[in-house]
Amino acid sequence: MSTSQILKGILEGCLLAVISKGETYGYEMIEKLYAYGFTMVSEGSIYPLLIRMRKEGLVITSEKALPSGGPKRKYYSLTEKGRERLEEFQARWDEVASSVNRLLKEEGR
Amino acid sequence: MVVSKESQSFLDDVTVYLYSSGKKEEEIKEIVEELNDHLHEAEKNGKRVDDIIGMTPKEYMEQLANEMPFDLKGWLKYLPMIFIGVLAYAVMGDAIEGKVKYSLIECIGYPCILLFFLFSISMLLKYVSSHKVSRWKERVLFSGVAFIIPTALYVLLQFLNQSYSTTIMIHLRESGNIVAIVLSALAFIGIAIWSRTWDAIILPAIILLPDVLLKQTGMAVSMKGMVSLMLSACGIGLYAFITMKRSKVKDMD
Repeated sequence: MSTSQILKGILEGCLLAVISKGETYGYEMIEKLYAYGFTMVSEGSIYPLLIRMRKEGLVITSEKALPSGGPKRKYYSLTEKGRERLEEFQARWDEVASSVNRLLKEEGR
Repeated sequence: MVVSKESQSFLDDVTVYLYSSGKKEEEIKEIVEELNDHLHEAEKNGKRVDDIIGMTPKEYMEQLANEMPFDLKGWLKYLPMIFIGVLAYAVMGDAIEGKVKYSLIECIGYPCILLFFLFSISMLLKYVSSHKVSRWKERVLFSGVAFIIPTALYVLLQFLNQSYSTTIMIHLRESGNIVAIVLSALAFIGIAIWSRTWDAIILPAIILLPDVLLKQTGMAVSMKGMVSLMLSACGIGLYAFITMKRSKVKDMD
């Protein structure tokens, strides 16, 4: 797996986590990710991923009018399948993160 | 939602790229609207389109295109229409002159040239929309692909046809020519109804009608050719002008 593929997998998990906190749209997701320090992903890269996640049935979208009027905005929310995928990701991530941490800490000693 | 000129041209390029990659119209509109929304918000916060896509436009468009399915059903609908339209146009022109006579090489060659033409145009649109190409280079490429290559292929086909004269496949007599004209006219009307535009009737009419009308006059052949060409050119110019005016009025509404 190349670095970008690993990053994509992580980004997918993080997007699921962001969306699980409540219905949201593209720009807001990026703002939340950046607030957590995810500055290594470019803003645009979430959209190809969101298209795939919707195709796989992890998220559903709905169009809502903006309060200021004007065109509609696309909101994402998690499906049951998306919630399951998020749990899987969390379990796998905990495993990877704790083993990497253990290894790095031991080497540091 | 209004975005900067830079962003708008990026969105236009994405649209052209996805269309020429054969993606579904609704899906293209959806993603372009979503990107427009994002760019609008980002620009309010002082970000620029290059920072947002974070890679070359080509890479980004490829990533988007990879996630969208090819619209096979749509193309299976359009392609026969284009073929029928071009076929009807070519046959009608020849039938008016009373010389519908095609060899095997022509029957196979013309559709191949048309297919190659459509394919090369879509490749060119993909290339131009995903690379920074100067105006000048763009013009050279378009005239090459849209004009010089098909003409060269046409000449090649004529040459092959003369040097390897194969058996004549289709040869129509007088009544056959009239049937061909009527069938072609019906095809234009059918396409016009299907596509809900008058273009399919008006454009062939502008090009072919002067020939038909001049045929009735006693003008010299060389003179007829000139006058017919001039009438057609004026007709197309006028039609383009009217269409442009109309679309401007529509935009203002």
